[in-house]
Amino acid sequence: MIYLDSAATTFLKPACVEQAMRRALHTCSSPGRGGYESAMTAAETLYTLRERAADLFHVPEPERVTVTFNATHGLNIAIRSLAGAGSRVVVTGYEHNSVIRPLTAVGADVRVAASPLFDRDAAVRAFKLALDAGADAAVVNHVSNVFGFELPVYEIASLCRKRGVPLIVDASQSAGILPVDYRELGADFVAMPGHKGLYGPQGTGLLLVSGRAAPLLAGGTGSDSRSPRMPDFLPDRLEAGTHNMPGIAGLSAGVEFVRRLGTEKIRKRESALISRLIRGLSAVPGIRVFAPPEEGRGGVVSFQPDTVDPEEIGQRLGEMGFAVRAGLHCSPLAHATAGTVRRGTVRVSVCYFNEPGEMDAFTGAVLSLLEKPCGLFQQGGTCGKSL
Amino acid sequence: MEVYLTCRSLTYAQSVSRALGAVSIRNMIVRTPQNMSREGCGYAVRIGNSSLDAALEALDARYLPPRRIYRARPGGGFEEVVR
Repeated sequence: MIYLDSAATTFLKPACVEQAMRRALHTCSSPGRGGYESAMTAAETLYTLRERAADLFHVPEPERVTVTFNATHGLNIAIRSLAGAGSRVVVTGYEHNSVIRPLTAVGADVRVAASPLFDRDAAVRAFKLALDAGADAAVVNHVSNVFGFELPVYEIASLCRKRGVPLIVDASQSAGILPVDYRELGADFVAMPGHKGLYGPQGTGLLLVSGRAAPLLAGGTGSDSRSPRMPDFLPDRLEAGTHNMPGIAGLSAGVEFVRRLGTEKIRKRESALISRLIRGLSAVPGIRVFAPPEEGRGGVVSFQPDTVDPEEIGQRLGEMGFAVRAGLHCSPLAHATAGTVRRGTVRVSVCYFNEPGEMDAFTGAVLSLLEKPCGLFQQGGTCGKSL
Repeated sequence: MEVYLTCRSLTYAQSVSRALGAVSIRNMIVRTPQNMSREGCGYAVRIGNSSLDAALEALDARYLPPRRIYRARPGGGFEEVVR
């Protein structure tokens, strides 16, 4: 299989991640639950993750690095901390359902700062206008999970700071690939998954916290046990219950892998792979490639066949051994921005471990499918045309 | 004689421990004895009494004050050290 769905999960991991997880299974019990060796080994493993992440994302104190189950979990904490019924929340036109659904669930007044696809300046202008119309909070997607477009998050963060509007940054597609500077952003929350660009296992994530945080879960923390309420200090306030120690150990190894390699090197490689793919796909007749601008290009690109259903293409590519994701990618808002919400797209996303030859093989596979569309439909069983 | 620097959380205790280690003060993270913890379960950093002044100086420099400080009494038990 050629795995090209790293925007969902980086399936190809560095060997150190599995090694760390195996080691944790045998050496770590629960942090904060005792002073014996396996509890303290777990505590050290968890703290090392916080230190590494604090260093990578420029967080002044490791306590502000809290662990979550995924980015969605972190975003839910952040949104419920800042927004309630009627809160005016400004978002970009690229947000994932992990933002839109929690905002809808709390009854927020969601205000989309819509702007044309791939236009950074227009995105800033639209956001400024929306903020000036009145805002209680803002959420910004750093990189679109559908189109790989890097939004001007630092410029938008500056607009929010000047207006005193608390900000949540969704770094799901940027953490580990682009510099994410918590200090420079000045955001109240930065949420990210562990299982994408940080190369950790599924079921892990990080939430960087500076603002007031409302716990999503209440329960035991191993601290301030006499109180029936959650502690008022981080990270305990947001980390009720037993930690996922094998996951945390794996994530820590992944973060260290990224730290040692450097986001610049990772980004350059992914960008080169995607640029190669864009060149190849652009020569395939019958498809539209949504190529993000070279500046800010990461490891994601989408394309839409003119006549064939993207899901059908995705399915057939899967049967040919290429793992890609088709459809709306849980981001109907981003598809609305691109005008692709009716049919969706096929998304291709890479990680550091993909090879240039895989891009060429993929282009060849798309070409071969589109050269024989009737064969495709026939085998897919959905063609209404006569063959 | 030992001194306990009680901390609000295990993570905080780890930050305290790292800060002390950085200035070569030997220390150990331990569970806080219940008779010196008003809040319930928690962690403390145990150091030697002779290191207390240097430890507090190092922690002040890093804005990491302990929650409370307890010194072991020669005859047993602990007394709180008020700064």
